[in-house]
Amino acid sequence: MKRFFTFIIVLFLTQAQVFAYPEFYEYSRKVSNRKTNCALCHSHGDGPEGLEPGQIGSLNKDEMEKLMRARSTFNLGSKVESPILNSFGNQIIFTLGKKKFLELKTHPQDLARELGLKSDLDSDGIPDSVEYLDGTLAISPEDGHPWKLFVSNLQKYFKHILLAIVSVSLLLYGFINFLKGLDLAAKVKGDNHETKKH
Amino acid sequence: MSDFFLLISLPYVAMFSLITVTIYRFKSKKFSLSSLSSQFLEKDKLFWGSVPWHMGIGIIFLGHVVAFTMPKLLQALVSKTNILYILEGIGLIAAMFALGGLVVLFLRRLRNARIQAVTSNMDLIILSLLTLQILLGILVATLYRWGAAWAPSTVTPYLWSILSFRPDVSYVASMPLIIKAHIVIAWVIILFMPFSRLIHIFALPLEYITRLPQIVVWNSRRLKEEVIIAQLEAQSRRHFLKSAFGITTGLILLSIGIADKVIPFFRGPSLSAKEKEEMLKNKLEKMKATIKQKELENERLVNEYIYIADLKDLKTDEGLYFTDYSMKPALAFKDERGLPLLYSAKCTHLGCTVTNKVKNGKLLCPCHISHFDVKTGDVLDGPAPKALPTVKFILMDQSQQIVINPDKSKLNEYKVYIIKEGNT
Amino acid sequence: MKMLNTLSGFIKERFPLENMNMKSMLMKKVVPVHKLSWAYYLGGLTLLFFIIQVLTGLFLLFYYQPTVNEAYDSVKFITEKVPGGAVIRNMHTWSSSAMILCAIIHFLTTFAMKAFEKPREITWWSGVVLIFITFTFGFSGYLLPWHQLSVNATKVGLQFIGAVGQYLPGVLSELPNKLIEIIQGGPSIGQETLSRFFAIHIVILPLAILAILGVHLLSVQLHGMSKGVSRNVEKTEPFFPNFLIKDFSLWAIVFLILFILSITIPFESFFPYPLTEPYNPLGSTPDGIKPEWYFFFLYYPMELLPFWVIIVAMGVLVVGLFLVPRIFQGTKRKTLRFLSWLAFAYFVIMTVFGEAIFEMIKGVK
Repeated sequence: MKRFFTFIIVLFLTQAQVFAYPEFYEYSRKVSNRKTNCALCHSHGDGPEGLEPGQIGSLNKDEMEKLMRARSTFNLGSKVESPILNSFGNQIIFTLGKKKFLELKTHPQDLARELGLKSDLDSDGIPDSVEYLDGTLAISPEDGHPWKLFVSNLQKYFKHILLAIVSVSLLLYGFINFLKGLDLAAKVKGDNHETKKH
Repeated sequence: MSDFFLLISLPYVAMFSLITVTIYRFKSKKFSLSSLSSQFLEKDKLFWGSVPWHMGIGIIFLGHVVAFTMPKLLQALVSKTNILYILEGIGLIAAMFALGGLVVLFLRRLRNARIQAVTSNMDLIILSLLTLQILLGILVATLYRWGAAWAPSTVTPYLWSILSFRPDVSYVASMPLIIKAHIVIAWVIILFMPFSRLIHIFALPLEYITRLPQIVVWNSRRLKEEVIIAQLEAQSRRHFLKSAFGITTGLILLSIGIADKVIPFFRGPSLSAKEKEEMLKNKLEKMKATIKQKELENERLVNEYIYIADLKDLKTDEGLYFTDYSMKPALAFKDERGLPLLYSAKCTHLGCTVTNKVKNGKLLCPCHISHFDVKTGDVLDGPAPKALPTVKFILMDQSQQIVINPDKSKLNEYKVYIIKEGNT
Repeated sequence: MKMLNTLSGFIKERFPLENMNMKSMLMKKVVPVHKLSWAYYLGGLTLLFFIIQVLTGLFLLFYYQPTVNEAYDSVKFITEKVPGGAVIRNMHTWSSSAMILCAIIHFLTTFAMKAFEKPREITWWSGVVLIFITFTFGFSGYLLPWHQLSVNATKVGLQFIGAVGQYLPGVLSELPNKLIEIIQGGPSIGQETLSRFFAIHIVILPLAILAILGVHLLSVQLHGMSKGVSRNVEKTEPFFPNFLIKDFSLWAIVFLILFILSITIPFESFFPYPLTEPYNPLGSTPDGIKPEWYFFFLYYPMELLPFWVIIVAMGVLVVGLFLVPRIFQGTKRKTLRFLSWLAFAYFVIMTVFGEAIFEMIKGVK
C-alpha cells in the first residue's frame, strides 16, 4: 500500500509537477564551451527526474516536504534547502527568489548579473556567477577556470609558496656547497697520493 | 627590593656599561675588538667546540630576537601546535648543541697547557656565566614548557618597558625563580660583555666566512705544494660550512612546512558531525547500489526470464535503461505498433553507453559520435562497425502467461521480460 | 659454445668490470659541452619526476581505497578533506604528465644524438622498455579515481585490443577478447579490473621499473655520456661536481614550478565536471571521453585510419625500436636529428590538433 502511495506521488510529480530549467546550463554550456550538465545547480547530473539519489524518485517523506516548501519560495531572502538542488541551486533561489528566477528563463544570460559577484560558495576565489559563465561548479574548489584558479590560489597560498622557494633554495645552496667541498676534499686526497708517489 | 635592583637597576647599569665601554674600546683600542684567537695554539678541539657552540647559540639568539621584536608574529605562528612543537624542538636541540660546544671549549681552557697560558680570569667567568645561562635556559624550556607561547606576552613587554625607560617589573615579578635567574644572568652577561672577549660580537667578521685564509708562502717548491693543498683544504672546509648552514636552515624551514602540512596529512582531517553524517550517508547509498547490483547479478544467474517494465511505460522517444543478461546496459523502447524494441546500449565501436534520448529517429553514442537507427539498431554514421544487437524478450499477460500472439487491444496489460540466451 | 662465448663477450663489453668503481664512474666522468648539451639533463629530470611519483604515490596510498564502492569517495576525501591532500594528489597527476613528456623528449633526443651506438645498446633497450613501462603506468593509474572519464577511457583503451580480433582467422579471432577478459578479470570493467590495475600500478610496475632503471643508470655511468655530435668535441666539463650541480639546480627549479602548479591549478579543472563525476555503469556515457593527452598520438590515428594500418605500424614501430642500434648503425647524426624532429612534430600536431583534425575529417561538431 505504502509503495503504491509513493508510486502515485512519483507519478504525480513526474507527470505534472516537474519543471527542470535546462535553459541555464545550456546557456552556460554555450558561452563556456564546456560540456556541462544539470549538476551545475542540481544534486544529480541528469536533473531532478528519476529514481537515483538526489532525484525526486528517491526522496522520503521529510525530504518531499522540504521540496514542497522550497518550491513555494517565491520571494527572495528566505533560506531554502531543496533536496534536489545543490547549494548553488539553493543559493540562486535564496538571492533571487523563485519568481525572479522563473522570469530569467527566457534570458539566462542575465542570471550572472542578477546574482552579482558577492557570493563564493566554495571560496575558491571565483564568484559563483562567474563560475556559472565558465561552466564550472560553483560548489567545488577543485573545479574552476584553470587560469582564474591559478591567480586566486597564487594569492591564497603565497606564504606556502614563498616558504617552499626559500627552503628549497637554501637546501640547494647547501647541497651545492657540499658537492664542491667533497670535490675539493677528493682532490686534496688525490694530490697527496700523487706527491707521495713522487 | 631585590626585584627592583636585579630587574631594573642592573639592566640600566649593564646597558650603560655596554654602550660606553664598547664605544671607548672602539675609539681607543680598535684591535682589541676580537675574541683573541687561540686557533694557532690548538685547533682540533677548538673546531669541535666552537662550531657547535656558535651554530647553536646563533639559532637560539635568533629565536630570542624574534620573540622580542616580533611577538605578534611569533604568537600567531605558535598558535598552531605543530609549529610550536617544531620551534621548541629546534630550540632545544640548538641549546644542546651550544652546551656541548661550550663544554668542549671549557675543557680546552682548563686542560691544555698552551691555552691556559693565555686564559684570563674574565674568560673563565664568561664561560661559566654562559654555561649557567644555557643550563638555565634548558631548564626553563623543559620545566615551564612552551616558552615560545608565553614569553612574547610577558618577557617581551618587560624588556620593552626597560628600553623605553618606563620600567615595569610587574610582567615578570611573579615568575618562578629559574626564569628570573635566566633574565638576571642575561643582564650580567651584558654587563661583562664589553670587558671580555664577548666584545667580538660587535666585530662580527662576516667576510671571514667567504674569505680565503692568508698563508705565508716560502720560496720552496715542496712548501708551495703544501700551501696549495692547505688552500684547497681550507676552501673545502668553507664549502662544508656553507653547506651545513644551507642544509640546516633549509631543513628548519622545511620542517615548518612539514609541521604545517605533512603531519596533519597523516593525522587526517577532523570532521564535523555534519560532514561525517554526509559521508556516511553517501557510503550507505553506495552500498545500497552495490546490493542492488549484486541482486541483479544473482537474478540473472538464477532466473530464466527477468521483468523489465510494463509495456505501457515504454516510450518511443526516450529509452528506459535496464541491465541485460551479461550485466551490460541496454535500452527499451516502444515501436510504432506499440511492441517493445530492446537493444544493447553498449556501442559496438568501443563500448561506451548509448544515450537514451531519440533525436530525429537516431540514437547517439557520445564517445565518437556514432548514430544508430532507433527502428532497427543499424549504424547510420560514425565509426561503429556493427548495428546495436537486439535483446531477446517475451511478453506476459496479467496471469503470467507468455503471450505468443500479442493482442493489439490488450497491449497495455502486457509486461516485458528479457530471456536468457539459448532459450527461445 | 661459440654462441655462449659471443654472448659473454658481448656482455663483458657492455659491462666492463674494471670500470665499475666510484673513480671511473663518478670522478673521472666528463660531459661533452656543445649545442645539444641541454639534452643530457632530460634523463635526470625524468628520474626526478619518477621520484616525486613514488613519494606522492606513497602518500596517496594512506587514504586511497581500491574498491569500486570506495575509490571515488576516497579520492574525493583526499582532495577535499585531508589537509594538504589536494596538493599531493595534484602533484601526482601533474608530475605523471611531466614525467611522460620528459621521457618522450629524452627518448627523441637520445635517438637524435645516436646514443644507442656501441657499446650503449643496453642503455637504449632498457630505455625503450622504461618508456613502455611509463606509458603503462599512465594507463593503469588513470583508472584508479574511478570517475566517468577514467573508467570510460580505460574501456575505450581496452577495446582497441579487442578490435585486433577481426583480422585473425577462425578460432584465433576470439583471442583478443579473451585477453581483454583476462586483463579486466571479467566480462566488463568492475571490481576485478580495479584490483588488477591497482596491483599493477603500485606493485608490479614500480618493481619492474626499479630493476630496469638500475640497469639503465648503471650503463649510463659506465660508458659516460655519449658524444652526441658528429664532429670532435673539445670542450668538456666534469660530471662531478659541475654537471651534478647544474643538474640539481635544475631539479630544484623544476620542483618549485611543479609545486606551484600543483598548489594552484587542480589538474582536473581542465576537464568539464561531468567527466569527473563517479562512474555509473548503467547510465549513459557523458560527452567528451578521450584518453589522457599523451595517448592522443596513438588514439586519433586509431580513430581515423583503418585498424589494420595501426596494427602493422605499431608492430613495425615496437620491433623497430628494439632494432634501432642495428638499423641506424651507419646513419649520420644529421639524418637522425631530422627523423627525431619529424617524430616530434607528429607528436605535437597529434596532441595539440588531433581533436580538431578528427572533427574536421569526420565532419562533426
